[in-house]
Amino acid sequence: MGVLLAVPASDYSPQMVPLERPELTDEADWIARAQRSDPTAFERLYRMHIDRVYGLCLRMTGNVSEAEDCAQEAFIQAWSKLDRFRGDSAFGTWLHRIAVNTVLGRIRKSKREQDRIQLAAEQAPLPITAADTGDLRDLSEAIDRLPQGARHVFVLQAVYGYSHEETGNMLDIAPGTSKAQLHRARRLLAQQLQEQGFEA
Amino acid sequence: MNETDDDKLDMAASRLATDISPERDLWPGIEEAINRPKRSRWTPMLAQAAGVVLIVGVSSLLTYVAVKYDESSVVQVAPANLVFERAAFGAEHTLASVYSRASGDVEARLERELAKLSPEARKDVALSLAVIREAIDDIGQALEQEPNSAFLQKLLVEAYSNELALMNRVGQMTQRVMARKDI
Repeated sequence: MGVLLAVPASDYSPQMVPLERPELTDEADWIARAQRSDPTAFERLYRMHIDRVYGLCLRMTGNVSEAEDCAQEAFIQAWSKLDRFRGDSAFGTWLHRIAVNTVLGRIRKSKREQDRIQLAAEQAPLPITAADTGDLRDLSEAIDRLPQGARHVFVLQAVYGYSHEETGNMLDIAPGTSKAQLHRARRLLAQQLQEQGFEA
Repeated sequence: MNETDDDKLDMAASRLATDISPERDLWPGIEEAINRPKRSRWTPMLAQAAGVVLIVGVSSLLTYVAVKYDESSVVQVAPANLVFERAAFGAEHTLASVYSRASGDVEARLERELAKLSPEARKDVALSLAVIREAIDDIGQALEQEPNSAFLQKLLVEAYSNELALMNRVGQMTQRVMARKDI
């Protein structure tokens, strides 16, 4: 079992760690140990999933420092909620839900916080990763510039492969809203990329 | 924008990296947070509950003492050998210095007034004061954990008020006893 989420693993990025993806049984063991308050086991789970969780946070926030804080907070919350993980979904999906909630929670936290994030995003260079090269960098930059709602839906849907139902559940919006936001995101991206002569 | 464009865009998006390594290791911060001992919610809650119970009890006791000894005919003088300890204060509580001065004056007067009461009355007063001060200690400890709790601060102020009221009441009791014409 190489992939825990619904998205096919891309072999595009040299930073991806498909070789270190755990076997499900191994992961289940680590989860069971972590649920018995074993920090070492939880660290193992952190090492297994941090890249995917951080990737999502980075794509959703568009800001390195915010993404680091969100990822960190998501794992801290995951530790405190571990006893509630029953294995109904993949552990990675469960972590993603927590991460999305963390991102949204921080955004909702206060208007001042939003302004700060916005300012930081404007001042900081766009967090293009080494993983995105060539035309994909243009796409990545264009995603960063999307309005928040459209960006969140596009990232969860098009980048991470969640369904409208799952995206709606994570973002606490109706599936119809998710579809509308996806449509909006595609339209805005197409406009931006057309101006840049992007060829997918 | 047609479906083909959508497909192209989705195809490109699906090739974006989903796993991205953070620039720094986030584990030390997480480890520190998860190893931090969880602060029990029970201690402050129990302290608050104890504070409420004690203050209600003390108020009742105050009333009882006042009613019971208001008409007392005993004017018995005995050396006041009761020892009263200073009340505890929560950390960062600014009430301490103001209260210390006020209670110091009242306490000095209290010792003089207590000497005019019967041993039984003095015992009741001492018991009441001990209960109030125990409440103040409990609330002070709770405040150390939650220094910004408005509820605890209110409880503390009420406890101090009860303490001062009791001390003043003792003074009034002895004045009334001394003013009686029938003894």
